[in-house]
Amino acid sequence: MDSLQIGSYYFSSRLILGTGKFSNSTVMLDAVRASGAQLVTVALRRFNREQAEDDLFGPLSEIEGVTLMPNTSGASTAAEAVRAAHIARELSGSPFIKVEIHPNPQHLMPDPIETFEAARILVQDGFLVMPYIAADPVLAKRLEEIGCASVMPLGSAIGSGQGLATSEMLNIIIRESGIPVIVDAGLRSPSEAAHAMEMGCEAVLVNSAIAVAGDPPAMAEAFAEGVKAGRKAFRAGLMQRSGSAIATSPLTFLGS
Amino acid sequence: MKEMSQMITIDLNGQQQPLPADSAISDLLAIVGSDGKSVAVVVNECIIRPEQRSTHKLYAGDCVELLMFAGGG
Repeated sequence: MDSLQIGSYYFSSRLILGTGKFSNSTVMLDAVRASGAQLVTVALRRFNREQAEDDLFGPLSEIEGVTLMPNTSGASTAAEAVRAAHIARELSGSPFIKVEIHPNPQHLMPDPIETFEAARILVQDGFLVMPYIAADPVLAKRLEEIGCASVMPLGSAIGSGQGLATSEMLNIIIRESGIPVIVDAGLRSPSEAAHAMEMGCEAVLVNSAIAVAGDPPAMAEAFAEGVKAGRKAFRAGLMQRSGSAIATSPLTFLGS
Repeated sequence: MKEMSQMITIDLNGQQQPLPADSAISDLLAIVGSDGKSVAVVVNECIIRPEQRSTHKLYAGDCVELLMFAGGG
C-alpha cells in the first residue's frame, strides 16, 4: 500500500484540504467528503455569540477518517504560534500542527526566523510539526534537522492561483529531503496538483482552488484524481526529457 | 445585599464583560450561550481543561479567551 506517512501516522489520501473561504459550511463539508482528504486544516478564531453555530469541530469530527490539522494562522511571532498550537491541541486532540506565521497581510509570505523558532519549540513539546515555508532548500533542511514531521513549501503566494512558480526550488527540496515535502499554497488546477506529485511531492494542500470553484465538491474530486494520477506517474517513473526527437516507429522500411 | 448579587467585570476576548461575582467558567459559558464542547478556554494565558471549568472561579480583571475552530487553510 502506497501511504503518506507523517510521523507514525499513515494516510491513503495525499490531498490535504483547507477549509477556509467556502461559501458555507455545508458546501465545505461536502467538499471534504468528495475530496477523500484524511487531513483537513482548520484555524482558530475567537468565539462570538453570533457565530456560535458555525463551529467546524463537531461536523468535521463526524466525517469518518478525517484528522484535523490546525494551523497557527493569525500568529505573527513564534510565541504566538506556540500558544495557538497548544490551544489547538487542547481543542482537537490532534498531534499535527501546521506552523503558519505570516506577519504581512499584503503578501502572506512566511517569516522564516519565527517559523523556525516556533517549530523548534513545538517539536520539543511533542507536536508533529508541519511548517509552511517559502521554497527555501536551506530552511527546509534545517527544519528537518530539528525534527519537523514534514515541510510545506509554497508553490506560489496563498490564494494567488499562480501554480508551481517555485518549481526549481521545490525540485531541490524534494531531492534533498528526508521528510515528506507537501506543496502548500498557490495551486489553481488539478493538473498543477498532478505536476507537483509527478515531481515527487508526498502530498499537496489545497484550499482556495476548491473553495472558490463554481462547484467545490466536484473540484475537490477533480483534485483528488489529479493527485492520484500524479503520484501514480511518479511511482511509474517518468521518461527522460530529450533535446531532440527520438522516433517511436521504424524510419527505414518504405524509403530505403 | 447578598454577595452573589455583586457584579464583577472581566475581559472576555478583548471586551469588557460583566459577570456575577463568584461565577465559574461554566457559568460564563452559559451566559455567552456556548455548550463548551467545541470551545477552548484560556484564563490569564493558562488553558483551563473542561473538567476544571465548573470549579475554576473568575475574578475581577481576569482575562478570558474563548476560542474555537473556523475555516482555514
